[in-house]
Amino acid sequence: MALLDVKNVRKIYTARFGGNQVEALKDVNFSVEPREYVAIMGESGSGKTTLLNILAALDKPSGGKVFLKGRDLAQVKERELASFRRQNLGFVFQDFNLLDTFSLKDNIFLPLVLSGKRYDEMEKRLAPIARTLGIEKLLEKYPYEVSGGQKQRAAAARALITKPQLILADEPTGALDSKAADELMRLFSRIHEDGQTILMVTHSVKAASSADRILFIKDGEVFHQLYRGNLSNEQMYQKISDTLTVLTTGGGKHE
Amino acid sequence: MNRSVYSRLAVTNLKNNRKTYVPYILTAVLTVMMHYIIDALSQNSSVGEGKVQEVLSYAVVVVRIFSVIFLFYTNSFLMKRRKKEVGMYNILGMGKAHIARMFLVETLITASASIGAGIAGGILLGKLMWLVLLKILHYEVNMDFAVSGAAVIHTLALFALIFGLTLIYNLWQIKLANPVELLRGGNVGEREPRTKWLLAAAGILLVGYGYYVALATESPLKAIQLFFVAVVCVVLGTYALFAAGSIALLKMLKKKKSFYYQSKYFTAVSGMIYRMKQNAVGLANICILSTMVLVMISTTICMYMGMDDILTTRYPREFEATSFNPDKETEEKIIRIIEEEIRQAGISEKDRMEYHYGGVATLKKGNEFKIAVDEDVYSGNQDIYELKMIPLADYNKLEGCMVNLDEGEVLLYNPDRNAEKLGDRMQIAGDSFRVAEELDTFCLEEKNDSRIVGGYYVIVKDKAQIQKFLNAAYDRLSKEYDQLDEMNVQYKVCLDLEGDAKDCRRAEEAIEKRMKKEVPQSYCDGREVERELFYYTYGGLFFIGLYLGSMFLMATVLIIYYKQISEGYDDRERFQIMQKVGMSRREVRQSIRSQVLMVFFLPLAAAVVHIAVAFKVITKLLAIFNMVNVSLFFLCTVATVMVFAVFYAAVFGVTAREYYRIVG
Repeated sequence: MALLDVKNVRKIYTARFGGNQVEALKDVNFSVEPREYVAIMGESGSGKTTLLNILAALDKPSGGKVFLKGRDLAQVKERELASFRRQNLGFVFQDFNLLDTFSLKDNIFLPLVLSGKRYDEMEKRLAPIARTLGIEKLLEKYPYEVSGGQKQRAAAARALITKPQLILADEPTGALDSKAADELMRLFSRIHEDGQTILMVTHSVKAASSADRILFIKDGEVFHQLYRGNLSNEQMYQKISDTLTVLTTGGGKHE
Repeated sequence: MNRSVYSRLAVTNLKNNRKTYVPYILTAVLTVMMHYIIDALSQNSSVGEGKVQEVLSYAVVVVRIFSVIFLFYTNSFLMKRRKKEVGMYNILGMGKAHIARMFLVETLITASASIGAGIAGGILLGKLMWLVLLKILHYEVNMDFAVSGAAVIHTLALFALIFGLTLIYNLWQIKLANPVELLRGGNVGEREPRTKWLLAAAGILLVGYGYYVALATESPLKAIQLFFVAVVCVVLGTYALFAAGSIALLKMLKKKKSFYYQSKYFTAVSGMIYRMKQNAVGLANICILSTMVLVMISTTICMYMGMDDILTTRYPREFEATSFNPDKETEEKIIRIIEEEIRQAGISEKDRMEYHYGGVATLKKGNEFKIAVDEDVYSGNQDIYELKMIPLADYNKLEGCMVNLDEGEVLLYNPDRNAEKLGDRMQIAGDSFRVAEELDTFCLEEKNDSRIVGGYYVIVKDKAQIQKFLNAAYDRLSKEYDQLDEMNVQYKVCLDLEGDAKDCRRAEEAIEKRMKKEVPQSYCDGREVERELFYYTYGGLFFIGLYLGSMFLMATVLIIYYKQISEGYDDRERFQIMQKVGMSRREVRQSIRSQVLMVFFLPLAAAVVHIAVAFKVITKLLAIFNMVNVSLFFLCTVATVMVFAVFYAAVFGVTAREYYRIVG
């Protein structure tokens, strides 16, 4: 069974005054299998962020359904939503979203504290994750004391510590320099190898080339997808570039 | 650039920032108004024989100092919020000179609006305040109260100066900063504060010492000397505790892992650390201001309401006349004057009491009373007792009885309700006496607890006995002051007057006038004369208590409002992040609520604790003014605190809503 199932999702925004309607998502269909690493690509305005918000249950689709492990997100009650999100989803954002008032360690602990976990258990969970992400020495520091790459690694640790079913990453490399971005993608691959399912939205070809599968969204629809197969990252990079060129120069729809 | 561009920009800016500027201008209007009114009142010399004026002129100084600090403070709030906007203008190509010009126009607009509306409002409301003042002073003559030119000029000058200073401050801020800093303006100061243990300890020590003094001081005279010290300690200590103590406490909580890592406290504790860092001084200000308001209003209300109590304690009869150097002839003359004038005024007298007495300050040690020297009296020694000695003949006349005393015998009366009986022997200045009886009642002073200095009425055999003690006391008197040539047995007559109140007052005045002329070394005193003086003094204080109280209240309200608003902008981002990370809306709301509540009510709680501790020492101080009705004072204090708390809670309601709107 697929971990995530997206069926005929539509999203229409209506302007507050007057009936001017904008169709952000027309008809999106795809699914993500467990342990898969999927990247979603598309130009700005293609509906990537809208899609991610719907997957994160931060927004509701105008039509269609999203299933996480067979559970319809629309059926999750408003009151449970926060804890549902906390238990099943991990988030990595473009602008880190770390709280300046907490040390990195406390930032990472935040979701666990909200779930009412005991302190020694939190410590136990943190140790391996911090080692993997190479932030063991930074845990007592505050977000304003560390670099962007380090911040994003802490944010990744925060996403991982709840052992979520799925990690949703929204342009995780968007605010990083290329070196930090490469480092982060290497870490994502490693986390993925450890068995974590990841869904990443990006428009960086470099970032996307580390994924198993890439979905291309255009005008509110999944337009095309690419599988890695046995290709190396460099070959993937080339293939993605070619696809994007076709997309932007407006070739016909092909599968 | 076109000149009108600046004014158009300035107007647009004010419009866009109306959420912060409207309260600012309103405050400025109110401040101007209050300054004008109090200044105008103090210029009007037609009431209270200068006494009220004197009290009011102190209030003017307080209002002036307050206006400067307060407007400056609110302005700095506004400036902090607007730094980003200024940075934007700078980056979009406006030079600092252009920005300065824009600010100048803005200041001109706000200043002229505030001062204009303030003075206009002051002129309108001044008349009302004048009537309120007259009412409080029980002044019945309807005096005229015109627009005071001097007050207008003072107000104009003062506030032009204040606005000028704020403009200079703002320009200085812009001049110092570079555009990037200005753009970031709102976000500076996010670093986690360090714990200042020394300051925290100093705070605890200072507040502790102040509290100790307030609680341990028994003698009212000592209380006067130490009260000021205690107040200064507590004020300083409060600032230190708010600034360092709070952060030390929160950090200690944070170190306690099993406590800190719970969803209820996690965000609250860390959030509070930053809030306290940014707001410690503001909150301490609010705390001190609130305490001041509460003490001022409760004591003045109490004094004002307890006036009758005070006067009855001080004067057992409505009117009294005293002669320092009486002989048969003088005494008859005094009685004659009184009787003539009472007849003249068409009123009658009642309960007349006449007696001779001599007062000596003594140092009590067991049953031994030694004549006290000046140093003992001024040092606030607890064992000082005033012996009021009355000859037996007068006692018998006063009480309407026929008691006999042998040589070496006295009657004793202690007006202190809680005092124990002395026993049957006593020594005064080396002479030994047998106490024939210790009385339970005496018409000159009912049993009470209002004595600041302990005292005994000693009924002795005759005047000669009293004079002997007076001579002994005179010998020990320090001759430095050299005011007295001798100390004599005094003569006092006191009585109540019956009849029309105006006639009584006329009779009293006439008696006083004639006594001054015809009887040397004498004076008159009356409850009514005193009442008028009381109304002038305490009525004036009461008025100022209310006036400054409402002004401080306004300040408190506004500081809170600005704090909440500016924190709302800072917190918006944080709470959005928390929601994204998996905090439900309800949890966010709860967290906000608990933090806002804490920040809000911490100063009030601290103020209430201060007042509770100060209660005892304030009652002692009030006792010096013969205000001994502790339960009245308690009621006044509780009522004042309640009214204040209601106001406070209302402001909390309004600002909390505004805050949720910004954050949510």
